[in-house]
Amino acid sequence: MNRVAFSPARVRWIAGNTFREAVRQRLLLLLIMVAATMTGGALFFSDFHFGSSELKFVTDVGFGALAFFGAILSIVSSAQFFFDEIERRTVLTVLAKPVWRAEFVLGKLGGVLLLLLVFCGLVTALLAGLLWWRETGLMKAHPGTFETGRVVAYAGVAWCGLVQWLKLSVLAALTLLVASYARSSLLAIMAGFVALVIGQLQYLARDFYGMMDSSLARGGVWLGGLLFPNFQLFDVADRVGAGETLSAGLIGGLAAYALAYMSVYGGLAVYCFRHREL
Amino acid sequence: MNAIEIDGITKDFTPGLREAKVRALDGVTLRIREGEVMGLLGPNGSGKSTLLKIVLGLLAPTAGECRIGGVPSDRVEARRRVGYLPEAPDFYPHLTGFELVLFHARLGGTARVGRKERVEAVIAEVGLVEAMHRRIGTYSQGMRQRLGLAQALVTDPRLVILDEPTSGIDPIGAAEIGEMINGLKTQGRTVLLSSHLPGQIEDLCDRVAMLDHGRLVLQERVEELTRRRGQTALLVDRLPAGTLGELRSWLQAHGVEFHGVETPRTSLERVFLETIGSLGKKGNERS
Repeated sequence: MNRVAFSPARVRWIAGNTFREAVRQRLLLLLIMVAATMTGGALFFSDFHFGSSELKFVTDVGFGALAFFGAILSIVSSAQFFFDEIERRTVLTVLAKPVWRAEFVLGKLGGVLLLLLVFCGLVTALLAGLLWWRETGLMKAHPGTFETGRVVAYAGVAWCGLVQWLKLSVLAALTLLVASYARSSLLAIMAGFVALVIGQLQYLARDFYGMMDSSLARGGVWLGGLLFPNFQLFDVADRVGAGETLSAGLIGGLAAYALAYMSVYGGLAVYCFRHREL
Repeated sequence: MNAIEIDGITKDFTPGLREAKVRALDGVTLRIREGEVMGLLGPNGSGKSTLLKIVLGLLAPTAGECRIGGVPSDRVEARRRVGYLPEAPDFYPHLTGFELVLFHARLGGTARVGRKERVEAVIAEVGLVEAMHRRIGTYSQGMRQRLGLAQALVTDPRLVILDEPTSGIDPIGAAEIGEMINGLKTQGRTVLLSSHLPGQIEDLCDRVAMLDHGRLVLQERVEELTRRRGQTALLVDRLPAGTLGELRSWLQAHGVEFHGVETPRTSLERVFLETIGSLGKKGNERS
């Protein structure tokens, strides 16, 4: 009998189905609206910019909303769309077809990544639009301040949106890994948030334990640190807010870093799911 | 040739770390020939669904092996021409019936040319044409069951595995699904049907395998099991007065043992089907 080859098309269909479910459940719309409200609200609270420029304040709030609601979307959708398949038993009818379990796992991940891409794209576009509108107003009101032209690096804003998507994608892959062997969606969601905190704060542990004398302990910390991505590396919004442009080397490096973690987490998720009894 | 070969399948589950193993299947050996309708009969918890999942490669057996068309069932290739309807299916509520069947047609490798026509045809076959562009979330249980049958059949499988296909649906819906299963048999497909309803197995299956506490306790042709050997029943309309006495005397004179006289009864299910059917309420959207 001819071998059934791994099919990117089947991965695409499963991903498309996952994305469609997210859109039709209006989860995406809800989070976009909340993030948009928060970003837009920054304009009305710009008096509280604590000494930094108004445009930087809006940028910080916008990317803060993107990171916060994006993390919720990433963790909840990765866990929930995976467990829904098991609880509804739709996974049985899918895998009763000539479909590899790897195709199923990668399809679910692909659907969530597409969802996050749309989320990051829309929120970033909205933020860029708001910044443009506000900057135009400020240029008219204070032409002297803008003698050299616009101060916001819009390309940097777009790249920052992409970097946030990379970070959220790693988080989604990590959550999916937990979901692939966990018995409840709640556990996967909790593990996703814990991993987010660890990834965000692991530099503190590295700094602390890195000063230890024992090379064994340092090696252990280094190895432990490898298990979780360092999410601080993706926090480039500050630089963008300060009008800096992000170098191609930095973005390429972050993309490679994210891809490496996604490959490892995705591969492990496939391995766990292949041995899971349904 | 055998469509399915099951050899000494044993399956143990460990519910929790500190709990004892539960044996769901114990050394089950079974052959299902191509083109036959095989019934898997047993009470709830007897291991029927577990056996079906092992056949489909969704569960790994603790011991033994299973092959579909000679291919080990844990290989993806074994499921190339298999259709499966799980018990009480709950499909993606966000999709329409058409979208769901199309999704499964794609996954099952139905050729792109004519795929949509095939989807429409199979939806028509299960009587869901009018509802096919509605979200599945609005479907009744019976409609979901029929939609499940459509997704199982859309890839034109040679082997159809049905787990409690009439679970949760009314007698009319069950009769319609029964007709569809008979249609599959006529088309020469192999059907493995799991049910806890002996009447359903008797009506639809060529052979039956009975499971109890994970063990295969009997496998036989349904006809062999249901026939009362050596006995003959006469069914007549309006027997004239006195004829029965004459008939009994004649039988005694010829040394034939007479067991008794019964008025034939019909089943309430049959009366229900005939009554509702004759009222013309047999609609497409019935659950």
